[in-house]
Order: sequence, then C-alpha cells, then structure tokens
Amino acid sequence: MLSLVALVILITLNGCGLDREAEELEPVEVREYEGIELSSVNEFRENSIKGPQQIDLVNYQLRITGLIENPRDYTYEEVLNRYTHYKKVVTLDCVEGWGVTILWEGVLIRELIQASNPLPDAKAIIFHAYDGYTTSLPLDYIIDNDIIIAYKMNEIALPPERGFPFQLVAEHKWGYKWIKWITEVELSDDVSYHGYWESRGYSNTADLDKGFFEE
Amino acid sequence: MISIIKRILINRTVHYLLLIVIVLYFVTGFGITEFRVVEVATFGLLTKSVAFKIHSNLWIPLIVFLILHIYLSLTKSR
Repeated sequence: MLSLVALVILITLNGCGLDREAEELEPVEVREYEGIELSSVNEFRENSIKGPQQIDLVNYQLRITGLIENPRDYTYEEVLNRYTHYKKVVTLDCVEGWGVTILWEGVLIRELIQASNPLPDAKAIIFHAYDGYTTSLPLDYIIDNDIIIAYKMNEIALPPERGFPFQLVAEHKWGYKWIKWITEVELSDDVSYHGYWESRGYSNTADLDKGFFEE
Repeated sequence: MISIIKRILINRTVHYLLLIVIVLYFVTGFGITEFRVVEVATFGLLTKSVAFKIHSNLWIPLIVFLILHIYLSLTKSR
C-alpha cells in the first residue's frame, strides 16, 4: 500500500513527462533532399555591397509598388500566411567562381504581384533591398520560371547574413540577381533598368550560359 | 659586351614584368573577393568589375612572362 502511494506521488511529481512542452532547440539545416546533396548555409561567401543587414521585423514591410492597381505593404507574417509555400532545389552560381546548391522555400512572386493587379504596361520588376542594392528582371522571366522569394533555406529561416527576411531565387541567373534583404518589389515598364552591378558593367540579362560581361 | 648588356636588360625587364603581373594577380584577386576594402583603398579606381576584367585577362601575360622567365634563367645558367 505504501509503495503504491509512493508510486502515485512519484508519477504526480514527474508528470511522466507526458504533459511537458518540448523546448525548441537551434534549428538544424538539412543537407540532403530527395537524393540531392545540398550545400551548407555556411558555404556562401559574404559579398554584399554594405555587409550583412540586420532587419527588425517589427518595422519591416515588403512593399509592392509601381505599375499596379493596388499598391500593398505586407508584414513578414502576412507574406507567409497569405501565400502558398513552394520548395525547390536551385544552385546559386556566383561570378566569383563559387556556387551553392540549396533547398529554398518561399512564395511565388507571380502570386504576390497578381494580388495587386499589375497594369498592362508592366514589363519588368525592380527589386530594392534594405542596403540600397537594386536589380531588375523581366516580368515574363519571373512568371514563366516560377520565381520565388525565399524565407527559408535548407529548412531553416534565412539567417541575417543570407538575406533575412527574403532573398530572390533567380534561377538560371548569375548570383548578383539573387538580391537579399528585399524591401520592395516594383513593377516597371523600364526593361533596360540597370541595378547596382549592372550599372557597373555586369550583364543586365545575367544568363548563366553567357559571360557576366556579355549582353 | 653590348650583347651581354642587352641580355641583362632583357632578363631584368622580363623578371620585373613577371613580378608586376603576379602582384597584379593578387591585387585584382583581392579586388574581387574583398572589393569593399580595395575600392576604398584605391580611391575607387579598382572597382570589382574592373578587377574582374583585369584578373580574367592576366593569364596570357602570366604564361608568356613565366615561360620567358624560365627560358632566360635556364640559358643564363649554362
């Protein structure tokens, strides 16, 4: 009888560990996805124009502007909650000669801009970043290739040095088109807009099968 | 006597040119990977895109001067 009481007390005190909430540990990146070996998040080389940016989500807004009927500002949570999430494995090739294959997770830019009703004149998208960096891509390329802005890489949230909260996954394009720390998506009719590196001599098309100084 | 002086002059020119090319290789390499520092240090003269253009074309003079350098060194020691 005594031992039974002791057992009940022990179970009550311990709670058998069943109703305890799991504590969250540091997220761990995946290194393989559907048989594809992935690079590590740490294999990138830091080559941004002003160094890693620290964005506070309290003040953060992703602005959709330009040639659209309804300009919108989204919080980080709104982007994640309102739009379907997509995953794809894409390799980023940097002009410096290194490359990384990463599992990206994000939202389709096509869906993001369609919610704002683009005007017929819109032919290109100019992306703006928190550090002042800009780049542009043709609207058709964005739509036809299911281009996403990623908030996760290898199943973990983008670290600040990798572009938190959003990085463009510009597949088939050189790395300087993969703009990080995106703050604004501007629809434009200016197909010849030259971004930061493009105005310094890099190709505006940035196709991987061509040199990055070729147009 | 003149041919000896000429030979020495050619040797030195090739050796110094090779040295310049090697130094340029390093500097332009850093101009690509450490462009933020190099651009400031060179007062904006060596930008990343300029560094890229120079760096990716330096292999031709490097090979030429390296071959000449080796050739002149070998023939000198005979």
